[in-house]
Amino acid sequence: MADNPGHPIRGLRLLLILAMALTIAGPAGCRRTDGEQPVRIGLAEPPRTLNIWLASDANSNKVLSQIYQPLYAMDPETLEPVPWLAAAMPRHDPVDNTYTVVLRPARWSDGTPLTATDVAFTGHLIQSFNIPRYAAKWAPVAEIEVPDPQTVVFRLKRPCANFIDGALATPVVPAHRWAAAAEAARRSEKPLAALLNHPVTDPVGCGPFMLAGYERDTYLHLRRNPHFFASGHTIAGLSLGPHIDGLLFKVYGTSDVAVLALKKGDIDMFWWSIQPGYLQDLERMPAIEVIASRRSALYFMGFNLRRPPFNDLALRRAVAVLIDKAFIVERILQGQGAPMTAVVPAGNRTWHNSAVSSPGAGLSRPQRIRAAHRILHDAGYRWQVPPVDDGGRIQAPTPVLLPDGMPMDRITILTPPADYDPHRAMSGMMIQEWLADVGIPATARPMSFSALLATVKSRHDFDAFILGYGRLPLDPDYLRTFFHSANAGPGGWNMSGYRNPRFDRLADRSQREGDPQQRRRIVFQMQAILGEDLPYIPLYTPLLIEAVRTDRFQGWVPMLEGIGNRWSFCRLRSVRADGDRGGA
Amino acid sequence: MNDAECQGPGAYQEPSPAAPAPSFWRATWRNNFRQLVANPVGRIGVVLLALFALMAAASFLPPLIHPMYHPMTGVDPLIAHSTGPSWRHWLGTDFIGRDIFSQLLAGSRVAFMVGVSAALVSILVGTAVGMVAGYGGRIVDSLLMRLADIVMVMPTLLVVLILASLFGRLDIWTIVLLIALFRWPGVARVIRSRTLSLKHRPFIDAARIAGASHGRIILRHILPNVMPLALLYMTFRVTSAIIIEAALAFLGFGDPATVSWGMMLQWVWKTGHMFQAPYWLLPPGLCISLLTLSFYMIGRALEDVIDPRLRREEPDA
Amino acid sequence: MPMGRYLLGRVAESVLVFFVILTVFFFLFRLAPGDPVSRLVDPGMTPEEAALLTAQLGLDQPAGKQYLIFIANFFRGHFGVSFHYGRPVAEIIARRLPNTILLFTSAVLISALAGIRLGKIAAWRKGGRLDTWMTIGALVCHTLFLPWVALLLIWLLSFQVGWFPITGMISPELWIVGDVTWLEKGLDILHHLALPLMTLFLIHFGSYLLIMRGSMLETLNEDYIFTARAKGLPERVIRERHAAPNAALPVVTGVALSLAFSINGGALTETVFSWPGIGRELVFAVSNNDYPLAMGCFLLISAVVLAANIVVDLLYALLDPRIRYG
Repeated sequence: MADNPGHPIRGLRLLLILAMALTIAGPAGCRRTDGEQPVRIGLAEPPRTLNIWLASDANSNKVLSQIYQPLYAMDPETLEPVPWLAAAMPRHDPVDNTYTVVLRPARWSDGTPLTATDVAFTGHLIQSFNIPRYAAKWAPVAEIEVPDPQTVVFRLKRPCANFIDGALATPVVPAHRWAAAAEAARRSEKPLAALLNHPVTDPVGCGPFMLAGYERDTYLHLRRNPHFFASGHTIAGLSLGPHIDGLLFKVYGTSDVAVLALKKGDIDMFWWSIQPGYLQDLERMPAIEVIASRRSALYFMGFNLRRPPFNDLALRRAVAVLIDKAFIVERILQGQGAPMTAVVPAGNRTWHNSAVSSPGAGLSRPQRIRAAHRILHDAGYRWQVPPVDDGGRIQAPTPVLLPDGMPMDRITILTPPADYDPHRAMSGMMIQEWLADVGIPATARPMSFSALLATVKSRHDFDAFILGYGRLPLDPDYLRTFFHSANAGPGGWNMSGYRNPRFDRLADRSQREGDPQQRRRIVFQMQAILGEDLPYIPLYTPLLIEAVRTDRFQGWVPMLEGIGNRWSFCRLRSVRADGDRGGA
Repeated sequence: MNDAECQGPGAYQEPSPAAPAPSFWRATWRNNFRQLVANPVGRIGVVLLALFALMAAASFLPPLIHPMYHPMTGVDPLIAHSTGPSWRHWLGTDFIGRDIFSQLLAGSRVAFMVGVSAALVSILVGTAVGMVAGYGGRIVDSLLMRLADIVMVMPTLLVVLILASLFGRLDIWTIVLLIALFRWPGVARVIRSRTLSLKHRPFIDAARIAGASHGRIILRHILPNVMPLALLYMTFRVTSAIIIEAALAFLGFGDPATVSWGMMLQWVWKTGHMFQAPYWLLPPGLCISLLTLSFYMIGRALEDVIDPRLRREEPDA
Repeated sequence: MPMGRYLLGRVAESVLVFFVILTVFFFLFRLAPGDPVSRLVDPGMTPEEAALLTAQLGLDQPAGKQYLIFIANFFRGHFGVSFHYGRPVAEIIARRLPNTILLFTSAVLISALAGIRLGKIAAWRKGGRLDTWMTIGALVCHTLFLPWVALLLIWLLSFQVGWFPITGMISPELWIVGDVTWLEKGLDILHHLALPLMTLFLIHFGSYLLIMRGSMLETLNEDYIFTARAKGLPERVIRERHAAPNAALPVVTGVALSLAFSINGGALTETVFSWPGIGRELVFAVSNNDYPLAMGCFLLISAVVLAANIVVDLLYALLDPRIRYG
């Protein structure tokens, strides 16, 4: 290479020319794609898999929920279940506890008819393999019968209040595509692992779209399914299409870049929450619409009730008073959320108990310190220099002494790391400072997500933690999951170790209660008890901020958990106005 | 991240060692500094470094002026979102109303802390291992150098990232220690080959015959001769430590309780202000570049001063 | 010592080192708190389901037994199945590796070529204004913080000016059209390649320039250069035929090692540019507790770097007759 006796700069010139050529050559290739275009959707991560049973991540579900369909879907307005693949609401026979479901006439995307056998097959598959995330929902089912190709009868072992929201909201898979795989998996050494790892390259579903192409982990193309059962029908008051040719999912490594792509018109929607920093800018653009949706999410601080110091209710109350939820929402979330009061998020209108309030809401920082000081003082906590002096002035306190006179050990607030969720990590830092105001020695410590879960869920070796559930189901059965004493063992979801026999009784009743009004009263009571006992302090529910371009497609359906829902994709229409493209 | 360090048998040619004379050091230091500053590259480096040292020293001031200038926890009571430069906040505020200029100052303190301490540890380990391996002979040499190989094969950033992510103890000192522990083999190799060449010099033989212990020979006779080389490597290690810490913090694996420049960039990035707030995005990135640049420049100039023939270190980032 | 025996020794050593690394990392991953099952935050997942899944993934076995199984499979050519993707590790790596190689190999080669050329000029005009500016320029470029520069470049050249696509490796809009030729697809990839390549070039050419400059200065002091001058050869011939080839030696070895390390992709570069390569995958695998995939990526990187070290040693021996083995 160095033997070239030419002018030393010549090689560089060559490089430059090459670079220029690349710049010009590329766009020339891109320009020919102006014809029919699908709705282009930006994803933050590539979907994990096309195997529905392995797909525990949000991105796979975004894709697969266009393909595989459940019997009942959620109404975007009322959030109640509406018949989707089923023709009507199930006929419930309370005497022998059966649910009878009649199917709509439907076909799989390969043209074969969808029958009750497919539904039964799906149920049996989940039960026999114990497929995680689904098996518990199907546990109450004793028998599935298929009296005729359009009818399924489920016989339950016990009354189950959330059977429709749970088991009947499971996506149905075609028996003719899965039977062989299931058989092979059953014969293998590790059946469940074999089923989950079964490669699916051509998923066949009955949804509005079907897979058309999947390339190099950079895009995923769905085409309109000609056999979609709901085309032209009106369900939940919405007439359904789909009216678009397809969906093109594009993967972007960082959300900044995805937002740039959105502004530039490379994508029509970024299916991920947009950081507040971009809002001002996006809202100014005429071709972009920013849509804020409420979420069914719970972000909370949890305590370890199994050991001191947080086994003391007074201390938990003091902490609850000290935490300025409004500050977290206004500053850390930049106003894109709401302070949370009860454990059931306010967006879940049916089940949220609005009578539960935050202790200390609306107080200023000095008022919080005074209130917390009073709670702690009454419970026997002492200071050498208290946070509030005799004249009621705030001062820097010495470390707090426990009622038994011993100094409090430094407590640790575990949070997820900043890369996972900067909001929670930063809330932890802030709470640490607020606790210091009354001399509670606390350190916020971010740790890797799986280490955090292993610590609080399995080893129970912690003081307090901040976690969140991003997509809580609407059915409030999770109250039982999170706080029933039966789930307080290692690996159980009652991470706080909360034990209250009265709560347990209510929780058990709520699971069986068939009457919605009665169940609602019980669930409200449960939230009130939790608001008193404070095993968790609910912190905030973030808003889901999404942005879409309105210059090519319109018709997004807003809903709890955002516009990326089945209703939107069945109703989107192309804007065919004189080819006038506003925007970047 | 180019982790490669140019190595190989004979990649390094032995310069002739200076005779060890204690008084020699003071004179050479003054002399060397003058030479360093005479070099334009060195001069820029020293000026830049002085500037950052000043910033680091000044980082203690803002919180004293008003609590809202505390880089981590101080927020402007009137401002709850990112704003541009003003008299109250010279570089503006970040998304929750913290002062960016205070953060920048604190960041330079952290960068010095991380860079210098990580470099110091890796140089200490590298020099010790290198001298022992070079002096110790076949078996010790072989064992230590294979260990060096093992560590060297691992890309530092990735390994530290893996450890940070797996164990989740993201304390800044742990990060410093991890960086140091993966950056010594390069130094050890160079120091070893220098030691090997020194080992059979007459003055070492003389000391041995005079009955000096191995420890004494290493400390008194070999160490002074490899010191300049170690110092030189130190400047390069400082830069790589700063860059690795910044990269870790940028990817979100840093210590969230520490305001470092990488962390500031991460905040800009994760809160969606990347292309919205130039007053917030530009300063930390520029500072990372300029501080590492100053150490590099000093290193390059030092090279010419200490030994013009030592030009083997590929600047590693 | 004859070359064959030397080579054999080096290979044996490297294999040993490889297995030490394998062992260390295997246990490191197992010792780390948390596992891929416990991180599934889904209230619908009961402890019994979690336990079943853990058993199915083989994670309920003691670490020692898992290690033996891993080693046994390793020798049979099975590198495990990714927890996250549910696909064999080898398959996933094979899909990502070409992307990484494409980007980083071309980046290393182009920056080395440019570095050698510019370094030669700088050394030739040592002390001059050009030299000073080139050195400072190289240092400045080299110390730029990569993700920061990358994002600025994306904003400037992709978004504002619009010369390059906004990250990624291909334009799906083009690929889903049926009648697109391979040439067009190739051009599309090149177009996406340009910006990351430019960024890497900016950061890396400086170090090659500096090495080349230093090495060239040293070479120019060698006796044979004086001899050549005494013979009255033209300066250009001396520079290009006599000095440069010898001076390029350390750069060549540097390139060899950089190529090896480029397998790890840069986690930063690939993340910022959404480039579907090994580096991004590794970071992703680690944060997902996907041990088999992380192990696979990491072992691949180690093996390549170890091999490159041997190649570099041999290269030295071939190119520099002064080196003897031993």
